[in-house]
Amino acid sequence: MKRTILLITLALSPTLALAQAPAAPAAQAAAVPITDADLKNVSSPSNDDRLKGDPGGTITGTVADIAVADSKKGLTIGDVVNQIGQNKIAINFVWTLITGFLVMFMQAGFAVVETGLCRAKNANHTMMMNFMVYGVGMLAYWLIGFAIQMGGVGGNGNLGGIQPLNTEWTITLFGKPFGLFGQHGLFLTQGGTYDVGAMVMFLFQMVFMDTALTIVTGTCAERWKYVAFVVASFVMGAFTYPLFANWAWGNGWLANLGGNFGLGKGYCDFAGSGVVHAVGGLTALAGGIIVGPRLGKYTRDGKPNAIIGHDIVIVLTGCFILAFGWFGFNPGSTLGASGNGNLRISSVAVNTMLAGMTGSFGAMFYMWMRYGKPDASMSGNGLLAGLVAITAPSGFVNTVGAAIIGLIAGVLVCISVEFIDRVMKVDDPVGAISVHGANGLWGVISVGLFADGKSNYGGSWNGVMGSVTGLFYGDASQLVAQLIGVATLIGFVFSFSFVVFWIIEVVVGHRVSAKAELEGLDLPEMGQLGYPEFELKARPTGAMA
Amino acid sequence: MAFVGVLITVLGFVIAVLSVSLSSSVGGRMVVVLIGIAMSLIGIIGVINRAFLKTANWRR
Repeated sequence: MKRTILLITLALSPTLALAQAPAAPAAQAAAVPITDADLKNVSSPSNDDRLKGDPGGTITGTVADIAVADSKKGLTIGDVVNQIGQNKIAINFVWTLITGFLVMFMQAGFAVVETGLCRAKNANHTMMMNFMVYGVGMLAYWLIGFAIQMGGVGGNGNLGGIQPLNTEWTITLFGKPFGLFGQHGLFLTQGGTYDVGAMVMFLFQMVFMDTALTIVTGTCAERWKYVAFVVASFVMGAFTYPLFANWAWGNGWLANLGGNFGLGKGYCDFAGSGVVHAVGGLTALAGGIIVGPRLGKYTRDGKPNAIIGHDIVIVLTGCFILAFGWFGFNPGSTLGASGNGNLRISSVAVNTMLAGMTGSFGAMFYMWMRYGKPDASMSGNGLLAGLVAITAPSGFVNTVGAAIIGLIAGVLVCISVEFIDRVMKVDDPVGAISVHGANGLWGVISVGLFADGKSNYGGSWNGVMGSVTGLFYGDASQLVAQLIGVATLIGFVFSFSFVVFWIIEVVVGHRVSAKAELEGLDLPEMGQLGYPEFELKARPTGAMA
Repeated sequence: MAFVGVLITVLGFVIAVLSVSLSSSVGGRMVVVLIGIAMSLIGIIGVINRAFLKTANWRR
C-alpha cells in the first residue's frame, strides 16, 4: 500500500510542483512579423465544398469572408486589422441595439402595471397615455431633445467615435467650464449626425427618455386631461429630461465635477437612477401636486381612502416584463460588449437580478409585518424599487452591495408610499413617485456609498483616471458629487417641471371635469370603453360567471 | 405662496452648487450640499405642497 502511495506521489510531483511554485518563464519564441504574403497561404474552402452545404458550420466564416479593399492586391494585413476593428464595433452596435429593444419593450410593462393599478373605467385612457407617450416623446426627442442631451458628448469609443456629437454650450463658473447643453444632432442630420454610431446612440437614449416620461402618466392617471398629458410629455421629452441627462451623461457640468473640482469621478449614474427614474419621479411629484387628488381619495378631514386597482394579475405580469426589460436597461448602459472593460456586463446583469429580488423581499416582509398580509402590489413595487435603485450603481458595486441596496429600496418604497399618501396627501395611484423618485434618489446616493473601486471601463470614468469608489471603500468625495446630483434633481428638475405644469394648467388646464372623472375617463376623453363587455356583464365581487 | 416655495427650492439647488467654491474640504462641501438639499425639501414639502393642500378638492 505504502509503495502504491509513493508511486502515485512521485508521478504527481511534477504537477504539484508546478501548481505551488512560480512557473519558470517559458522560452519566448522570437516574434515573426506577418506580412501580406503570409495571408496568401491561408486556405479558404473551395467552391465545390461550399456547394455541398455546411451542416457542421466549419467552413462558414473564414478568410474568404474578410472584405478586401483592393482586389488587385488581394487580402492585406490592413484588411484583416480593419475587419477586427469593425467586428468590435459591430459587436457593440448589436449589443446596444438589442438592449435598447429590450428597454423599448418596458413600455408594455409600464402600460399594464399602471392600467392594472387603476380602475377599469379608466383602462382605455391609462393605456392610451402609455401608448402615445412613446410617440410623443420620440418626436420631441428627435426634433430637439437628443441634440440637447448628447450634442456635446464628445464621442464614444465603444460605438466607433461619433465625433460629430462634439459641441457643448458652456459657461464659466468658479473658473471652470460648466457644460449646459449640446448643440449638434437636431433631426439627426444637423452637425454631421447622419452617422451610424449616432443612430445607435439615439435609439438607446430615446428609449431611456421614454421610460422617464411614462412614469408621470402613472401618478396623474384617472383625472388627467389627455391634451395636457400630450403637451407635458412633449416638453419633458424635449427639455426637462435632456437637460439633466446632458449634465450627467452628455459631458455636462455634473459629469465633470471630478475633473473640475476633485469630487471623485464626478456625478456617476451608470444607467439612470437619477437621469431616468428620479427625473420621472420628481416630475410626477410636481404633476401630482398641481393636478390634485382623485375625487374620493381623501375624506373631508384629510384621511386617505384606498382606491383599489382593477387587475393585480396584469400588474404583476407587467412587473415581470419590466424586470426582463431591465436586463437591457442596466447591462446595455455599457454601450458595448467588447473592449474597455465591457465584459463587466455579466456583473451588471447579476447585480440587477439580485437587487430586484431583495427589493421584492423588503417590500413583502415590510407589508406582512405591518399589515398582516404580503401585499401583492407593494411586492411588485418593491421589485421595481430594487431595480430602480440598482440602476445607478449596477456598474460599480459587487453583489453584496447590490443586495443591500435592493433590500433598502424595498422597505423605502413602502415608507415613501405612506408618507406621500398620508402626510403630503399627494394622490399617486401607482406609487410612481415612491418607486422612481424616492428610490431613484436612493440609487444615486448608493453609488457614493457602495461603489467598490473594482470596475474598470477603460481605466477612467468621466475623464478621471481610476475606478468609481464610494465612501465605504475610501472615497468620501464621490458621495459629495452624488449629493450634488441629488440637490440638482430635487432643486432644479422638480422646480423646472413644476413651472412647466403650472403654465400648462393656466393654458389648457390639467383636470377633467368632475362628471367625467366620476363616469370614468374612457368615454369622455377617449370615446371608447376599455372593457365594453364588462359594463354589460359585471358581477358583484365573488359571484361565479 | 407656491411661487415662494419654488424660489426656496431653487435656492437649495444653488447652495448645493456653490458648495464647490465655498469650501475646499470634502466635509465642508458635504455639509453645504446637505443644507441645500434640506432647503429644497422644505420648499417642496413645507411650502409648495402645503399651499396646494389649502385649496385641495377634498376640503370643499
